[in-house]
Amino acid sequence: MLKNENIMVYTEALEKIYQIGEEKIQVLKDINLSIPTAKFIALCGPSGSGKTTLLNIIGGIDRPTSGKILVAGQDLTLKDEDFLSDFRCLNVGFVFQAYNLVSTLTMAENVAFPMEWTRKPEQEIEKRVDELLEMIGLQHRANHFPSQLSGGEQQRVAFARALANDPQLVLADEPTGNLDDKNGQKIVQVLQLLKDQAKTVIVSTHDTKIRAIADQVFYLDEGRLASENE
Amino acid sequence: MSSSGFPINDLLRRKFQTSLTIATLTLSVASTLFLLLFSNRLGHGIASSSGILTQGLGIVFSQFILFLGVLIFIVGAVITAFTTFLMMAQRTRDFGLIKAAGCPNNLVSGYFMTELLTTSFVGCILGIAIGFLMDYVVANLVFSSYQLPNVLFAPLVFIVFLVLAIVFGLQPILKATKMSPVEALSPVKYYGLSAGKKNKTVSRLGLTWRIASRSLFRRQSATIRIVILLSIVFILLTVSVAGGIIARDTTTSWVQNTVNKDSIAIADNSMGNQFKLLLSTFSGATDTESFNYSDSNLAIPQEVINQLSALSSVSLVDSRLILKEHVQEVSNFTVDYTTQTTYSVGDSRQDDAIVIGVNPENLAGTWFTQGRFLTQNDDLNAVIGDSIANTMYSVDRSKGIVVSNALVESIAFQNNTFNIVGVCTDPINNGLVVYVPLESLMNITGYSPNLLLLTLNNSTDSSASITQIKTLIQSIDPNLNVFPLNSVIEKNTNFLASTWQTIMLVPIFTLASAALCLLGYMMLTVDEQHQEFAIIRAIGAKPKIVMFIFAIQSLVVLFSSVGIGISLGTIITLLILMQQPLVTSFTILEITGLLFAAVIVMFIFSLYPAFRLSKASILKIIS
Repeated sequence: MLKNENIMVYTEALEKIYQIGEEKIQVLKDINLSIPTAKFIALCGPSGSGKTTLLNIIGGIDRPTSGKILVAGQDLTLKDEDFLSDFRCLNVGFVFQAYNLVSTLTMAENVAFPMEWTRKPEQEIEKRVDELLEMIGLQHRANHFPSQLSGGEQQRVAFARALANDPQLVLADEPTGNLDDKNGQKIVQVLQLLKDQAKTVIVSTHDTKIRAIADQVFYLDEGRLASENE
Repeated sequence: MSSSGFPINDLLRRKFQTSLTIATLTLSVASTLFLLLFSNRLGHGIASSSGILTQGLGIVFSQFILFLGVLIFIVGAVITAFTTFLMMAQRTRDFGLIKAAGCPNNLVSGYFMTELLTTSFVGCILGIAIGFLMDYVVANLVFSSYQLPNVLFAPLVFIVFLVLAIVFGLQPILKATKMSPVEALSPVKYYGLSAGKKNKTVSRLGLTWRIASRSLFRRQSATIRIVILLSIVFILLTVSVAGGIIARDTTTSWVQNTVNKDSIAIADNSMGNQFKLLLSTFSGATDTESFNYSDSNLAIPQEVINQLSALSSVSLVDSRLILKEHVQEVSNFTVDYTTQTTYSVGDSRQDDAIVIGVNPENLAGTWFTQGRFLTQNDDLNAVIGDSIANTMYSVDRSKGIVVSNALVESIAFQNNTFNIVGVCTDPINNGLVVYVPLESLMNITGYSPNLLLLTLNNSTDSSASITQIKTLIQSIDPNLNVFPLNSVIEKNTNFLASTWQTIMLVPIFTLASAALCLLGYMMLTVDEQHQEFAIIRAIGAKPKIVMFIFAIQSLVVLFSSVGIGISLGTIITLLILMQQPLVTSFTILEITGLLFAAVIVMFIFSLYPAFRLSKASILKIIS
């Protein structure tokens, strides 16, 4: 089961506790998940239910307090920071709610830089940047800086950056949360494209349009997995 | 929300940023005050040690310490100004947010001004307290007894630094008041960030270099400020390190060269010991007032001079007539040709001095001289020591002497006047010395030489030569003896070196305080960029990439500053601080080594904030 190639994300009794001063806050409680490859998952639930924390743990940005987590066949529970960095770079594409583009790099460079850590040839990187910017419809904005783009455009570039190394898993944390309907729709189109490309996608969202294209919807409530809908 | 409640609460909630700014300000004020107090203690110590060191050398020390003091003050002031500027510039977005929420412009300005005033005041007050504490601790360690410091530096540093902090901190606040909320919230208006030029999609340079260099160039105003700041720090370091070493070597050579290496003195027992005592006054020995230089028994027989001159082991015989005379300044006149006005130069001041008759053709030493030393054709010319020049030929407004210049005046003793052609640095009698032609002095006084300085051939065995010379001179006059001078010269140079060594504590403390201030500044800049470093790590960069990016930024900034600072510092050192500097290849090596070590220390210090950031969890950084 643990090394099953058809399972992209596997969690067992996953728990996360944050200590704030003297107070302990349990954000995730006994999460048991099994997400097959090439599935589009919507992670829903009220604010503060633990969606972002779960995404962070799956993406290797955060570590569980207890329990087990396997992503793409790798047990992330006890891995060091260098391993997790390489893992994130090669296997995970992360899209943040607040876009989080590097302000000192142009759009093209923002898309290119995860590829440079993998030491890909420069020509290959340039070709891939062109492909991705074309895919999101922002080729004409390649040399602009994040501050010169709208929120919707920045979020599309964030998707392009997440796909740069062609990861098996794409994680998106409320990608339409800061966008209007029109821009939100464009992001849904990008997500649909990923689904068509048979990527494993996990999106935390309140957006009904995203839920509509999901293969499976997980509900989180107060840190517990409340239900799974096919 | 009261008008003072918000800013104070805001400062308390932003604990890290607030304490960082206050710590940087405190460090800057404390180190400046401490260095000024410490320099003052050194300068005061040197000035008060009358009878030790020649006055010319005392002036070299005082100039050096004064120059360092001015530079230290400038460095501290620049760091203070930059810190508050950076602190307030980073708040532009908050300014916009509060304005966007409907807060009137004058109220929001008031909030931020209160924050600025509070942090500046607390930083300066803490700095003054810690500065005094550092002075107390170090003064007890370095000096044998603790004396109260010059407290006047405290209000000077406090007022100037507080005003600078407020003036520079106000700049971004005033700029933000003129912005609309939308502008203030726009990332384009963030501190130092400017819109980028068109770039090639992916340049050939490495990613790490690109992020580092782009961060520096897009934050041009911040980068320029830190380069200016560090350049001034490196000017200070160069002047203090290079200047200190060059000045130490140069002044040591001045003292060392007044008597050739491996020279020996030949004289009557009492005269020989008296000459050694005169040389030792430089390092603190006291002259015997009662010694009778004109005792006819001290004269050296001509036969001794002839026989010594014939010895192959002796390369030079410097015959000297040493006397103690009451000398008097002889004033002169000078004409201002533009106004056709005649001015009196000098007065008729008097003092006791050692007068030495020398044969300019046979001198067993060389002197650092303003003007020139005596030559063969000089008859009634004299060269005076720097202490005489400073006591008898200096401007003294309290006595109405507004123009005075030894080189256009004369000196008189025993009713004979000698034109002064040079002022030399000489350890003999601590610079209270007058050199005149031997023939002239013999004619005036009727005395013969009473001391010989012999320079031995390098190729000969010196101890064998000394034994041979001793046997020879005592066979003619049993009262004569040989006096090796190396130990006295060495004592003088060691004393000079130890004085410089104490002064060289200033550059060490300067380096330490500059490194600490730089650390504070770097922590502020890392804090400013922490969000981006977190993003880069979240995307998959290893912690070492973050360190590498910051290391590149730090190196670019450091090397730009080193280039400017060391060049200007060297020019200042060579052109302004030292006349006829002695720079050997060893001096260059020593200076290069120390400055290189300083750069390395500062580089390592500057990486600490990035090291901390790279070790922190991504979520902690982002939050």
